[in-house]
Formats: sequence, C-alpha cells, structure tokens
Amino acid sequence: MGKIFKLACLFVVASVCHWGFATLFLYCGLNVNFMLVFAIAFCAVAQLEIGYPMAFLCGLFLDFFGAKLFGNNAFSFTVVACAVYALRERFDFNSFLPQMMTVFVLTCAVGVLNSVLLMQFTNSSLWPGTGSLIGGALVGALLSPIVFAVVRFVWVDLAADEHL
Amino acid sequence: MVPPRNKTIKKQIYVSSRRRILFPAAFLLFSFLLMILPLEGMVVSVKALLSYVFIPQVRLAHGAVKYAEGVSTTVQELLNAHRENRELKQQIEMDHLLTAQAESVFKENERLSAALNIKPVRPWRGVLAKVAYREPSQWNAVIIDKGSADGIEERSAVLSLEQGQEGLAGVVVEVMENTAKVLLVRDEDFSAAVILERGQEEGLLTGGGAQPVRIKYIPLLAQVQKGDKVFTSATSSIFPAGILVGRVRAVRQDGSFQTAQTVEVEPLVRSAAVKELFIISRQGHP
Repeated sequence: MGKIFKLACLFVVASVCHWGFATLFLYCGLNVNFMLVFAIAFCAVAQLEIGYPMAFLCGLFLDFFGAKLFGNNAFSFTVVACAVYALRERFDFNSFLPQMMTVFVLTCAVGVLNSVLLMQFTNSSLWPGTGSLIGGALVGALLSPIVFAVVRFVWVDLAADEHL
Repeated sequence: MVPPRNKTIKKQIYVSSRRRILFPAAFLLFSFLLMILPLEGMVVSVKALLSYVFIPQVRLAHGAVKYAEGVSTTVQELLNAHRENRELKQQIEMDHLLTAQAESVFKENERLSAALNIKPVRPWRGVLAKVAYREPSQWNAVIIDKGSADGIEERSAVLSLEQGQEGLAGVVVEVMENTAKVLLVRDEDFSAAVILERGQEEGLLTGGGAQPVRIKYIPLLAQVQKGDKVFTSATSSIFPAGILVGRVRAVRQDGSFQTAQTVEVEPLVRSAAVKELFIISRQGHP
C-alpha cells in the first residue's frame, strides 16, 4: 500500500513539474517534456513490470489534455520504454552523460513520432518547430541528472522497503 | 538428462524474455486501440472527465510558476534597489562636495561684494510644500499644504523640480494660515521680468492661459534662437535672479510696424505635472 502511495506521489509531483516547466519554458518558445524525462528515468531504474505501466500512464496523462488524437503519447512513451530497456543493457545510467544523451535523443524521437502519428491518424500536423523541439530536448537533458537522482533515490528506497 | 538447476534457469530466461515482448506489445496494442477510437461521444466525455482529475495539478503548477516569476521580479527589484542605493550614495557624496564648494564660493562672493560695496547674493531659503488640490475654475493655480504658519508670504517665488532641474513654477498670490494659493507660470495673470541667456536682453514674460507663454518687449535686432534658455532677471522685485524659466520655443516678428519681437517660451515646469514645490522666503533673497 505504501509502495503504491509513494508511486502515486511521485507521479503527481512529476505531473506538477511537467506543467510547471511547460508553462515556464513556453515563454521562451521551448517544448519541454518533463513527463518524458520522468518516464525515461523511471524505466532506467525500475523493473519492466512497473516501468512499462508507468511510462504508458505518463503518456496517457498527456493524452488527456490533447485535443486531436487520444493515445499517441501513450504509444510513443511505450516505445520510449522499449528503447530504455534495450539501452539499459548497454549503457550505465548511473553516469550523467548516458542519462543526458538518452533523454535528448528520445525527446527528439518522441517529437517526431508524435507528429508522424498525428499526421497518419488525423491528417493534421502538430510539429512544434525544430528549434523548439531541440531546445526543449536540451532543457530536458540538462534536467535529467536531477530527475534520475530523485527517481533512483525514491525508487531504490522503495525497492529496499518492499523487497522489490 | 538436464540438471534441475539448469532447467530452472532456462525457465526463468524464457519467462523473462516472454515478459520483455508481452509487456510492450500489450501496451502498444492498447495505445494503438485508443488512437483508432473516434474522438466523439463517449470517448470525449470520459477523456474530459479524467482530465478534470488532473486539473488541481495543473493549477498547482501554474501557481508555482507564477510564484517563481514573482520571486525573479522581487530579486530583480532588490538588485535594482541595491544599485540605485549605491548610485545615490555616490550622488550624496558628490553633493556634499558641491555644497562645500558652493559655501566657499558664497563666502568669496560675500567678501568681494563687501569690497566692491555690492549687495551680496544669498542662497535661497524657503519651505517645501505639496500641492493639496487644484481649483477647477482656475487650472493654472494650485493650493499648497503650507501657509502663513509655515512662514509663507504673499509674492514669494515658487520653484519646482522638472527633469532633475529646478525651474520657476509660479508665485504665491494668497496666503491662509495652513494653505496658500500659487499662480503658475502659464496663468494669464502671471508676469515676471526675465532675461534671455544669449543676448542678455530683458523682457516681460506673461502667461497665456491656453495660449503660449510669451516674452514681450524684446528688441527687434536682438538675436534670439529656438532653444535659448530664459532666466528670471535681477530687476524683478519678486523673483530672485537666475531661476530657469524655460526655453525659447518660437520667435514672432508679426508686423513691420512693430518695434519689438515676441518670443514664445516653453516653461520648464509643466503646470499639469506640478506636485512638490519649493517656496522661497522673502528674506531668502535680496
């Protein structure tokens, strides 16, 4: 029960941070996806039984606020989770550089994937702009060491508590 | 025959690899199904209902951002205040130096005036006052919050600060115990003897109400140009000499039969912007 409560708290904090950063960087014209950074960090730390549902939920959370298509973020976040679990065997996510590189590349990839999905399913485009996407990915990459550290701190603590 | 330990490991690997495929496949399939759902009717209602669940988080985030913006503004204001404080401290130090210099110049002036038997120029002394209200019927006159109780007398010159420079604002025309009426330069009834900076020609400055402020009796041959400064003259019985009144705005030479030209002046002190005034006491100048 405590584990679920802590997970829910982590999710709520991440969602608040997502909207906070999105609003803050909107003034600079940057498309910062904090939820994606959180999902990547969580998948890099947690087991796949919890990582996939969490990534899916994070994407679904963003889909609730989308107007044109429902489920595209859930889809792309699940793809990202696949990528993170594949990369986890090759990269050491304890150091900053792999964390930042992964977040940067996957944020750009999610931006492209979302645009492609939207184009395919709704015949409309939601391209945020190259500058905005790369700038946002860069901000996400810079934030990633902190997010990874927090998620690892909370999750390892949880895993130790609950013998996960 | 495979040993039981190896069998267990093989089974674990099989389960693990099956999970690796099943988990993403299930979520990808589910999200794909969500994407192909038509966004209308029931789906929109459920989506809207669930999005309401997250509204408090969105509000909290917006509140945090607003607070963060407020913090940056406050920090900026604090830094600005610190910079201004430093500049003002330097300015005060400079003012102390200038005051010391001015005092020595005044003393020198007094000595020289005494030697030449001339009445010495004394520094202006007076009272600071604020505009209490304006008379609706006479817009170019103001009532100030100081009166005879504060040492204000009729026909005292009134100065005001505009663009960091003191200039002539008007003259005290009525004095009550705690208030006084000041006629501003633009008023039709206002007049003062003034001198032009360039040629040192003297004239009579009169307020024009809605019309421009003018200087009369400037000789036709006098060289007057737009932008020339206008000061109060030493011949004035009310105003101390050397107070900046304004700048020349235009020069009119209307008729060939006239012997003098009319100079239009833009007063330094704007009537509408007058707020704080300095009333020079009658004993404050010769």
